[in-house]
Amino acid sequence: MSNNPSTPAPTSSGDSFFSAIWRRLKSWEGLLLVILLAIFAINSSLAPGYLTIGNQINLFILSIEKVIIALTMTFLIINGEIDLSAPSILGLAACVTAALYRGGMDFGLAVVIALGAGLVCGAFNGFWIARVGLNSLVVTLSTLIAYRGLARAIVEDASIGKFPDWFNTLGQKNLIGPFPLALIIFFVMYVVAVIILQYSGFGRQVYVIGNSKDAARYSGVKVRRVKFILYLASGLVSALAGVLLAARLGAVRGDIGYGYELDIITMVLLGGVSIFGGSGTLYGVFLSILIILNIRNGMGLASLSGHFQTGVIGVLLILSVLGPNLFNQARASINRRRLRRAPPAHPVT
Amino acid sequence: MAIPPEKSPVMEMRHISKRFDATQALDDVSLTLYPGEVHALIGENGAGKSTLIKIMTGVYQPDLGEMLLDGKPVEIRNSQEAQTHGIAAIYQEPMVYPDLNVAENIFISHQDRGPVVRWGKMYTDAEAILAKLDVRLDVRMPARGLTLAAQQAVEIAKAISLEVRVLIMDEPTASLSQHEVTQLFKLVRSLCSQGVSVLFIGHRLEEVFTIADRITVLRDGKWISTRLRGEVTNDMVIRDMVGRDVKDFFAKGTAERGDLLLSVRNLGKAGVFHGMNFDVYRGEVLGFAGLIGSRRTDVALALFGIEPADAGEIVIEGRSRRVTSPDNALRLGIAYASEDRRQLGLVMPMSIVSNISLPMLSHYLTRLGLLRRRKEIATAEKFRQRLNIRTPSVQAEVARLSGGNQQKVMLSKWLNAEPKLLILDEPTRGIDVGAKAEVHHMISDLAAQGIAVIMISSDLPEVLGMSDRILVMREGRQMAILDRSEATEETIMAAAMGHQSQSHMGVGSPEGKA
Amino acid sequence: MKTLVSRFRPEQIRLLFLIALMILMVVFFSIEIPGYFNARFVNRISTSVVVVAVLAVGQTLVFLTRNFDLSVGSIAGFTAYFVGQQMWWHKDWSPITAVLIALGIGIIAGSINGVLVAYGRVPSIITTIGTLAIFRSFLVEYSHAVPITTNNLPRWLVNLSSVVLLRIGEVQIRALFAIMIGVVIIFQLVLTFLPFGRRLYAIGSNPDAARIAGFPAQRMVFLAFLISGALAGLAGFLFIGRYGNVTVLAGIGLEFASIAAVVVGGVSNAGGSGTVVGAFLGALFLDLLENSLFRWQAVSEFWRDFILGMLILFAVALDNVVFGRLKNVWARAGLQMSTEESNEPEVASHVE
Repeated sequence: MSNNPSTPAPTSSGDSFFSAIWRRLKSWEGLLLVILLAIFAINSSLAPGYLTIGNQINLFILSIEKVIIALTMTFLIINGEIDLSAPSILGLAACVTAALYRGGMDFGLAVVIALGAGLVCGAFNGFWIARVGLNSLVVTLSTLIAYRGLARAIVEDASIGKFPDWFNTLGQKNLIGPFPLALIIFFVMYVVAVIILQYSGFGRQVYVIGNSKDAARYSGVKVRRVKFILYLASGLVSALAGVLLAARLGAVRGDIGYGYELDIITMVLLGGVSIFGGSGTLYGVFLSILIILNIRNGMGLASLSGHFQTGVIGVLLILSVLGPNLFNQARASINRRRLRRAPPAHPVT
Repeated sequence: MAIPPEKSPVMEMRHISKRFDATQALDDVSLTLYPGEVHALIGENGAGKSTLIKIMTGVYQPDLGEMLLDGKPVEIRNSQEAQTHGIAAIYQEPMVYPDLNVAENIFISHQDRGPVVRWGKMYTDAEAILAKLDVRLDVRMPARGLTLAAQQAVEIAKAISLEVRVLIMDEPTASLSQHEVTQLFKLVRSLCSQGVSVLFIGHRLEEVFTIADRITVLRDGKWISTRLRGEVTNDMVIRDMVGRDVKDFFAKGTAERGDLLLSVRNLGKAGVFHGMNFDVYRGEVLGFAGLIGSRRTDVALALFGIEPADAGEIVIEGRSRRVTSPDNALRLGIAYASEDRRQLGLVMPMSIVSNISLPMLSHYLTRLGLLRRRKEIATAEKFRQRLNIRTPSVQAEVARLSGGNQQKVMLSKWLNAEPKLLILDEPTRGIDVGAKAEVHHMISDLAAQGIAVIMISSDLPEVLGMSDRILVMREGRQMAILDRSEATEETIMAAAMGHQSQSHMGVGSPEGKA
Repeated sequence: MKTLVSRFRPEQIRLLFLIALMILMVVFFSIEIPGYFNARFVNRISTSVVVVAVLAVGQTLVFLTRNFDLSVGSIAGFTAYFVGQQMWWHKDWSPITAVLIALGIGIIAGSINGVLVAYGRVPSIITTIGTLAIFRSFLVEYSHAVPITTNNLPRWLVNLSSVVLLRIGEVQIRALFAIMIGVVIIFQLVLTFLPFGRRLYAIGSNPDAARIAGFPAQRMVFLAFLISGALAGLAGFLFIGRYGNVTVLAGIGLEFASIAAVVVGGVSNAGGSGTVVGAFLGALFLDLLENSLFRWQAVSEFWRDFILGMLILFAVALDNVVFGRLKNVWARAGLQMSTEESNEPEVASHVE
């Protein structure tokens, strides 16, 4: 992914809290808010009584796995990288859990091992990308295939189910008030992610590296270490998502989680995170998550098939990068025209 | 400048002016190029040479003035048009296609060689062109496999094949050996005999006097003089370039030199530099002089851990150390301010505050790792005052600042790291005179406070004025270490060009004489 | 030695290495599996490699421009379905028409990719992940999940995979194979002998120089995607020719196989190097491996994807680490000779 520094990114971190907020409201996140409200309106017309907290919570629960991976994906993309293998790690973890349990292992232990497997997958990614220096697209594309293959090799053709009851309802059962465990997990992770990304030294480094890997290195930032940590985190969180998905579905097949990368990446990019790295916030990502969840739900209400919905998400993904590009190109050409008409420069001061 | 023209000029630049934001890069510059002639364009860094070239090749358009080709005014709006008009440029880094072979590199831009590539013919034609230049190369070899000199020959061949009329050569000799330079000049002469007009930009006056027929000097964006080679002496040119009496411009106080901080013994990196032996003392400014391509920056990168050396040793405060990475170097007290301010020295879209705190980020974190923004801002404000950084706010994006202020931010960043050794790479390049003076004062202050400073600079007067001792490099080798008292522009240039007349290949001797 | 260095570059050594590996593989499996290497096996391979090989040719062009095309599987799937459907409804249409329809759809799809990447400046990964989904959903919606089966298709199409053009002993040169070889040859020639092809290498090898030279990089990237789409369409035709049955799942995963093929075949995503022949050899290698593993009881077919992914990774790692260094050795070898040559006394060179 090349760096396109010719235009300043819509949002960036590291600045004063208030000036940052004001700038955001004026730009991408503001637009997202408008879109979200529009979708709420449309959905409400399709199904009166749509706008309830309970409904939104439900949406989150049903897509919790994608949503938490979107959090780590945000970090990675801001850092100028990507992890296409995340959904495959999800699938692998789910399959590992199921297979181990079916083989007689204690369920809790199986889950722990699955999470460990996620860490190993993340470390493997991190090794080739951070230490050896290979291109993250190619590496995670190959591990997307490989981890998925591993999952399929473990589970083969079968569908493994029959998890302990407490596990199956864990995601749905209300734990604290009206909030089920899955939602609490997301909430906690989101808050932690925001704190790390926007308010911690590590987050600052993530942004800096995404802006300019070389400048970061020349400033003493441990670039390779940061990248490695991010891939570890992505692996762990993807594995966690896999375990949650297994819980929710109650059964695991070899192709579980297939195709999730579309929604996940769209959630991140639509949220205003630049694919070229160095900018974007979790606030925007949160809004775009809401947008995508509600769009899918709305389309479902309008009886549009799952495949059609996927196609629409594909369009959204492309638009989320195409839109700003066209906007910047238009603005650049307007500026150029303005410069040409301008009178000659004054002598230097 | 009464020069009777024997032939009519092929290209004329008349009263060209160009401004970028706050800098007037070119101010009423005129230049005339005649066919079959080598016209040298010289000036210090920032004199406006590269801007002029970019205007000639269509990358920029002039604000004022006009260009004439064969007496007719032309507008060159992009590089394609420049090529159509027969104007081509060769830069220090040859623009070859590494995966394509020599013959293809020569002919790839041709539009009119037919619908099908005829490899046999291409090889024959390529060999013919190379033969015209008396160069022998295997035309089937991929360009990646060629030396820099050979790649330049390929570019020249390419220009000939495109029937270039004006060939601009920007610092072509910077990375060439003596022998290769001789060969290049033979090529240039061969070109001229075919009627091509060559605009030659170079730093090494000795070379310029060998190859040029006419010499134009620019300074600070203005045209200073154009003379035939026969009418000009070394001193005249230097005086035109510098425009002031060299010695008493920079007043660096003679500071007390402290004890030995860092020693480098036999430091080397395969293929880049070797045999570096020098000492650095607290409180002194050690200037690194040399021509472009002398690899001074590489030595700095080895000291800073970006490209560690593979031979020799570095002794810091008596202990032998390995510097393996920048954060390692920082912990050892070494800081390096890059010459590439925009890509490496600063993170452009980020604020002044964030840039300054970056190398020392761990000092601005709470125990949990959260940022202490107020502390960062306080630090930034402190440096804003101390270095007189002109900005509406320390939260402003660094990209919006002028060059001089950007440089100050970069310096602040490294000062904040409280290094024991600060390496500055071209600290005043591309900034205005006022800011330059401020930077120089700051460097003096630093030395007075006991910090050791290595200053890499291509600006001879600056090196002479600021340094206590001067280390001269040439092509990866250490040529001399001169004491302030014995250093002059001549002695430095002599060492930089390879004459080891007064070299004290000295490492610190107890008497304090380098 | 001099000729050796200048004639055999690392890229060519790499292909020879690949061929050697394939020979080794055949030898190995011949030992492990009785009755492995015979004419029937060759015939089977020649048919099964066809779809991925054609996709790999298109992917090569895209890779040369430093891009990826992940949508080829969906394009192939949709085209397979559409062609099948049209042949079902119009059984009297000629095969040529079928091919033209396939190419036409592929061109349209490829153009969409091309416009977005070249002119919209949307990175190809994003674009083609998006169009992968869009084209697939288009297929599902369009087909209303009605599968195409061999019963619906005209006879010639059903039998297409067994049409034999030439027989050499027991070995059959089949029509599908011939089409694929034709595509490989055509595009190898395009990349070697047409200015368009050479400029593709140039813009990948040094985009800055290409920009200054005024090469129409945007148009060329657009064309690369257009061709990739067209070939994906053709692959769709070959797909239905081979299988006869088309469901909405047709073509899923083919993009990964095509990328694996080009990477194994030595085409670099950094642009500038790699050949169509290499991509074909890569596809052949993968097909050989898959077919052999399938027959070898030791490894179950469910490990297929894992092996595929690991192969891509190791091919890339190998290229970067080993062959990267090898290129420098070559470069240094070239270096010495050039200096030697220029050190030879210059005859007949005059300084004016």
